[in-house]
Formats: sequence, C-alpha cells, structure tokens
Amino acid sequence: MIKIENLTKFYGNNRAVNNISFTINDNEILGFLGPNGAGKSTTMNMITGYLPMSAGKVTIYGYDISKDPVKAKSCIGYLPEIPPVYPDMRVCEYLSFCAGLKGIPLAERSKEIERVQELLKITEVRKKLIKNLSKGYKQRVGFAQALLGNPKFLILDEPTVGLDPNQVMEVRKIITDLRKDHSVIFSSHILSEVSAVCDRVVIINKGDIKAIDTIDNLERSLGGNLILHIKVKGDRTVASNIIELTEGVKEIKSIEPEGSDFFSFTVELDGDEETVRSALMKDLLNNNISISEIFTEKPDLEEVFVKMINQDTRKTGAKDLLKEIIEADGGDAENEESGKEENE
Amino acid sequence: MFSIYKKEVQSYFYTPFAYIITALFMFLFTLIFNIKIASMDSSSIHFTFTEVFYNVTFYFIFLVPIMTMRSYADERKFGTEILLITSPVSVWKIVLGKFFAALTLLAFMLLCSSVFPIFTAMHGGVIVGQLICAYLGFFLCGAMFIALGMLISSFTENSIIAAVLGEIAMFVFLFIDRFSETGFVSQFPLLQKVLYAFSAKPKFAYFSKGFIRLSDVVFFLSAIAVFLIWNYIVIEKRRWNRG
Repeated sequence: MIKIENLTKFYGNNRAVNNISFTINDNEILGFLGPNGAGKSTTMNMITGYLPMSAGKVTIYGYDISKDPVKAKSCIGYLPEIPPVYPDMRVCEYLSFCAGLKGIPLAERSKEIERVQELLKITEVRKKLIKNLSKGYKQRVGFAQALLGNPKFLILDEPTVGLDPNQVMEVRKIITDLRKDHSVIFSSHILSEVSAVCDRVVIINKGDIKAIDTIDNLERSLGGNLILHIKVKGDRTVASNIIELTEGVKEIKSIEPEGSDFFSFTVELDGDEETVRSALMKDLLNNNISISEIFTEKPDLEEVFVKMINQDTRKTGAKDLLKEIIEADGGDAENEESGKEENE
Repeated sequence: MFSIYKKEVQSYFYTPFAYIITALFMFLFTLIFNIKIASMDSSSIHFTFTEVFYNVTFYFIFLVPIMTMRSYADERKFGTEILLITSPVSVWKIVLGKFFAALTLLAFMLLCSSVFPIFTAMHGGVIVGQLICAYLGFFLCGAMFIALGMLISSFTENSIIAAVLGEIAMFVFLFIDRFSETGFVSQFPLLQKVLYAFSAKPKFAYFSKGFIRLSDVVFFLSAIAVFLIWNYIVIEKRRWNRG
C-alpha cells in the first residue's frame, strides 16, 4: 500500500500542491485527473522522490521516500511525462543500462529485457538508435523501462500521449493486465481513458484535491441528474419561463439560438423524466411554442470533471443565460425586453 | 554505480567522440613533440619529455571542457536526469560513476600518447622514472580539471555554456600563478602566497621534473574531492529549488 499524507509543495511563494492525502491500495489502478498545470506531475515527482516535498510524507510499502529513498525507489517504476531516453543509445543498450540502474542481477537481465520488449512490442526496434524512433515508440521504450524489474508500484504520467489509437488500446490493455500484481497510479487529462481503466480517480485542480472516489460514485453524486435537450420554435423568453417553472426541472444550463426562430435548451432535471417531459410538452404547446426535438441523456464523466474543476465559476439561472444571449444579439435587445414585459 | 560508469564509457567509446578527442590530443602532442625535436640542435637545452608534457597541459585545458560539457547538461536537456534520480541509486554513485568514466577516457588518451616515449626509447634514451612521474602528474592534474568541468556542467542545461565557462575556470586555475607574480599582486605578499597556493601549473611542473611531492598529490586529490562534493551538493540543491 502506498500512503500519501499531507503532501505540499511550494515553488517560492507559489503553492503548487496543497496538503493532499490519499492512499493507493494493492492491485488498484488509481486515475489522477486534472487540467494542465493542476499539479499532477509535481505530485508524481514527489511520490517518486525526484522532487523533495515542502511538507508531508510519502510511504511506499512501509518505506519513507525521504528517509529510506533507495529501498522505496526500488519498489517504483516511473514513466515521466517526457520519456527519459538517451537519443544516442540503442533500445537494447538503453534497457540494459536501466536494468543495471535498478539492480537487476546480471543473470536475469537479458531475460527481463526480453520480457518487457515483448510486452510493449518493441522487439523489432531493439537494434535501432532511440533518436531514430517515432514518438510512440519512444514512449513505449520509456514504458518498458518503467516495467523492468517488475516493480510493485507503477507511476505513469500520461502514458498514452502521442500514441496512435491502436497503440492507445494496447497500452490500456497492458495497464489493465498489470492490475493482477501491481498498484498503478496513472495520470491523464483524457477522461474516457480514466473511466475505461481506473478503479478510483483522484481529481485535482490548482493543487487541491477536488474528489477521490470511484467513477460510478462520482457520476451519481455530481452528475446524477439527467440532462434534457429540447429544441423549440417561438418566443424564447416565454419558453424559458415555462421550462424553468415546470416541476422537476432543476435548472436551465444553456440556451442557444439555432437558425432564425429556433432555440435549444439544455436543462438539468431532478424529477421523473417522463412526467417532466409530458408536462413540458403540454405547457409549451399551449403557449404556441412548437417543439422540434426533445431527448434526455445521462451526463458523462466529462461533465463531472468540468463541474469539479469549475465549481466556483458556474452560471446559474435562466435569467443570466438569457441576458447573455440578448447582449450578444445587440440591437435586438430592446424588442426582447418589451416582449418580455408584455408577456408578464 | 557500475551501470552508470558503463553507460558513460559507452557514450564516449560507442560514438566517435572518444576517438576524435583522442586524435586531437595526439595531434597536439605530436605538434609539440616535433617542435621540441626540431629546436633541439639550435638550443643548448636537451630535449626531455618534461617540456612536452609541460606544454601539452596548456592545450589540454581546451580539451577537458569538451569532454565534460555534456555530462550533466545533456541529462537535464533530455530529461534523463529524472531517470537517474528516481532509480534506486544514490546521487553519490551518479557523480562518481560519471567521474570515473571520464577518467577512463583520460587514461585512454594518455595510453595513446605513450607511443611517443616508446618510439623515443627505441631510438634514443628515455628517463623512465621521470616519465612515470610526468604521466602521474598529468593524470592527477587532468582528473582535477575533469572534476571542475563536470561541476560546471552541472550548473547549466546548455552544454556550450558549460564548455565556455569550463574553459574560463581552467584558465584561471592554470594561470593564477602568473597573476600572482604581477607587480600589482606582489604588493600584498599574503595575497600572493594564497593565489600561488591555488595554482596548478607549478605543482604539475614538479611532477614533470620527476618529483612526487606529497603536498602536490594532496593538493590535486583535495581539489578533486572538493569539486566532486560541490557537484553532489549542486545536484541535490537543484532539486530543492526547482520551479
């Protein structure tokens, strides 16, 4: 088990990572999710002992990374963001060097190198100079290096960046297979990847942990409400008033004009889908607003993620959204205002 | 440590690097050797290897920064420093592994240059004791410059800057005795003494004349130790300051 307790990192006065704590259980794949500059790489560098922490503690299978670095580091395989390869070395030379660095006994070395080469399908390029390899192959060589010596704990910093879709699938499969006898922490900003591979996710933004949970739980707790898309023709103010007042509607998330008279509403529901839908349709039709499209969908992880990250800056209420559109329309604004008053 | 040593030696000898720099060294050696032989008749001074070695040191300091400029600068440039530091190897072993690899290259260069004394011995006389002292002195002096060059390489990410700064630092080290003999400095006898104590050339001169003085050996060894420890501190400290 890997324990991260109250990890903090200051760069000068700038706090890059703020007091984060989590644990990684045995045989678990933990996703580490966050936008660029969230502190993902800094955290990973601290866990691996590359960067010293300003405060906090990292314990890897009982070894403290700052007090017992050699023993702790021998449990870790690390693939940094940029694969740490020497351009002037051949792939096999490089892997043999890394095997030596990790202290793999001479007798087992060639067997171990063969194993990782086959696992990552780089056997055919093993005689090539690394500088002549493509980005995807370099990435795989870096990954092979992390797997050398079969360390119990793997840290992969965006392992699928720069790979083609085929290779991405392969790498994902390798990571899933690793679950059998490894713990993996895996960072990414690609959500589908995290949801496909990881057991739990840690969402981090600006150095703070926003959530630690399984993907299902996150979806349920944050984006559990269904999203209703409805496209109407008619007065948008009337329509938005009706939609907002209908029972079972939580809020209008966006209003977008489409064509001359059409408007698309995205609405978050907190009531029963069927009831809301029929009530909405009835009310809208009674007010001479025709509906050209209506459907509901489950919010995906993307939604959860964006929500997590932007928790502070969300717009609320149909009024704000309407105002935005009216401002965008410019000259049209006056008419809209008067129309609104008449309706009221 | 051995794997780092091996990798560094490979990076010298599996590329043309080691051979080109040795060729350059041999070229300089040949040049000075020939000049000395050519001027043998016209001057009353007998030709000795002392002179050759003494002169080669001057040109040698141009080669050392080229040997060492990449050692840490390139690791940082290619992001491979992260691999070394996150592997279960202490920073000490990284520093020593790199240092010994560069010493191996130096030893290779000196081995190649032994062609001249062997050739001379076949056709004339060589004072073996003096020659061994000269080689020992050259090796120690070279090791000190290598440690200095590596230290400077660990300051920067750019290997060219490392080379130029190394050049300057080595000049200072080599010619600090000339500076201490200037009229200006001789006004302050204490300063003169201190500066003279730090200069490498007079100490090397004793070696090339065939003296092994304990104080000179201690000087070179302690300078090597200081540079390597400093190197270690620079790498450790950079990790704390990053950002």
